[in-house]
Amino acid sequence: MRYQIDLVMRRAEGALARVIGTAERRGFQTVGVDGGLQPDGEHWHLRMNVEGQRCGEGLQAQLYKLHDCLAVEVSPWR
Amino acid sequence: MNGARWLVEALSAEKVDTLFGYPGGAIMPFYDALYGCPLKHVLVRHEQGAAFAANGYARASGRVGVCIATSGPGATNLVTGIADAMLDSVPMVVITGQVATTLMGTDAFQEVDVFGMTLPVVKHSFIPRSVDQLPEVVREAFRLARSGRPGPVLIDLPKDVQLAAAAHLPAHVPAPVDPNPPATNVDLVTALELLSKARRPVIYGGGGIALGDAVAEFRTFVESVQVPTVLTLRGLGALPDAHPLNLGMLGMHGTRAANMAVQEADLLVVVGARFDDRATGRLDQFAPIAKVIHLDVDPAEFNKLRHCEAVLHGELQHSLNQLATAMPECSAWRSTCQSRKRQYAARYDAPTATVYAPALLRRLSELAPAAVVSCDVGQHQMWVAQHWGFNDPRKHLTSGGLGAMGFGLPAAIGAQMADPQAQVFCVSGDGSFLMNVQELATLMRYRLPVKIVLLDNQRLGMVRQWQELFFEHRYSETDLSDNPDFVAVAAAFGIQAFALSRADDCEAALQRLIAAPGPALLHVSIDAHANVWPLVPPNHNNAQMLHESTAPRAIPGANAAAAVASHASPAQAGVTHVHATPPHSPQPENAHALPD
Repeated sequence: MRYQIDLVMRRAEGALARVIGTAERRGFQTVGVDGGLQPDGEHWHLRMNVEGQRCGEGLQAQLYKLHDCLAVEVSPWR
Repeated sequence: MNGARWLVEALSAEKVDTLFGYPGGAIMPFYDALYGCPLKHVLVRHEQGAAFAANGYARASGRVGVCIATSGPGATNLVTGIADAMLDSVPMVVITGQVATTLMGTDAFQEVDVFGMTLPVVKHSFIPRSVDQLPEVVREAFRLARSGRPGPVLIDLPKDVQLAAAAHLPAHVPAPVDPNPPATNVDLVTALELLSKARRPVIYGGGGIALGDAVAEFRTFVESVQVPTVLTLRGLGALPDAHPLNLGMLGMHGTRAANMAVQEADLLVVVGARFDDRATGRLDQFAPIAKVIHLDVDPAEFNKLRHCEAVLHGELQHSLNQLATAMPECSAWRSTCQSRKRQYAARYDAPTATVYAPALLRRLSELAPAAVVSCDVGQHQMWVAQHWGFNDPRKHLTSGGLGAMGFGLPAAIGAQMADPQAQVFCVSGDGSFLMNVQELATLMRYRLPVKIVLLDNQRLGMVRQWQELFFEHRYSETDLSDNPDFVAVAAAFGIQAFALSRADDCEAALQRLIAAPGPALLHVSIDAHANVWPLVPPNHNNAQMLHESTAPRAIPGANAAAAVASHASPAQAGVTHVHATPPHSPQPENAHALPD
């Protein structure tokens, strides 16, 4: 299964590494990453495409546990 | 006032009373600020000891454990203890010195990226690059460590930040712990309906019960619904050992009564547990006909490994109180489970000349029923879990998720520091003990009255057992018969120690150990071939338990895993009957082997 992940994160040291690392450690391969600072300069909007055999809801729950993740949405990648 | 001094005062404001650590270059400003301050610092002899001691302190007390080390090797030596805290949800704040911000990223002396290195094993981490960030970082670190599902938080503190002027910073004010939400009424209605209709329900309790301060509510719930209960390794004590509804530990080394009940259950009420593979055995055959109600504070655990028909996310106390109103009709099932518990209870009465470790531990638990017990990892850890009668989960300190050898002694030190009046035992094995033996110096320095029971089979016993059963007796690198003289080792640290090798001497030795003033070590020689039974082989379901009388170890080259076949009962309950091979020795190890 391929999923698209939309995240809003704090602009904080390690936040990107945590997100990508969590996806990989939880069984997903990162296929693509795109994103940047939001206009307020304090948050990132990140879009990731991942693929893996496990369910997307589980990954969403794991990402949402990250302190720097303020919003996470995982949906099937179209 | 510099950053380091401000941090010391902030720790006091967080009500930290004890720190465990080891100084070094990059953390020297902090240690300078500690000098003469009222915080108690426990100087360990290896940073891993500091992490495990803080870990044991936190497990035993429920408070945040704090440990400190310098940059580079000091920081890397903490990592195992941090990982252990992460896997067992232990609240810790870990402070590491770091080279100055101007040197970070230049491969400076003792510079290592501990922030990056620990990303997968911390709940969160910070590098304050300016002293102005300290108040927010410290506040968040303690809040995160304590809130929700607890865990370790790292603060990697550059040396220049420690030295920077901090007089302008406000006094530290701790953040309140985030309240856990109560479960929604919709979830509760579904769960109550499932529980009320169940005819073979089983409650499956884990370490989250103690972490959520929900032991009293859990016991009330069990009493109210009168449902047979099994516990995970870290749930032991959530229900008193002797409680008639307590079937014991489930899983790989669980009791037959517990595993049979779970495999036959039509409903599992999972409380603060996470379907760990050591508890479930082969997951796709775990509790094959059961529906699941899952109560947890961490929503990421729901449906992670097992589909749940009802999830109760949030504060356990509230959910348990609500579920306690259910009235399942399961008296016949309860009788069956309790009958099995009696039928398959462990026995300790086989005549034997050598010390039978389970009997020794059972007796010690009777002599010291209120003691805190810190274990290392291996066979002795499982014997403690099986045979010590725990009545309080905070009195069983065991490295459950990580399974870290070397945990026992420093964790016992931490527990003793948390409660100087507590009776604390460290039960260790000869392999584990040497992994942090240097902490005997810490024990002696602070004259902590920890009593050590060292079960010595001159082997890496659990690995040896698996080699015997699953690797065709190929005992690769598990012989430790060149162990040092442990009594002499303890004596070299100034700790009284004595040896036990005969079963007849057990009672006197235990009495002597308990009565000994200050720290003491009892070295116990046990049979090198003793195994932990029962055992669910890897990739088998929990109904497929091996017992000594059924394990094929008397057949050279036999492969138990291959020989195991599923029992034919409809609910997949019962033990696997491999071959009626004679046991390795006729008496001592068979004392608790169960009839087929």
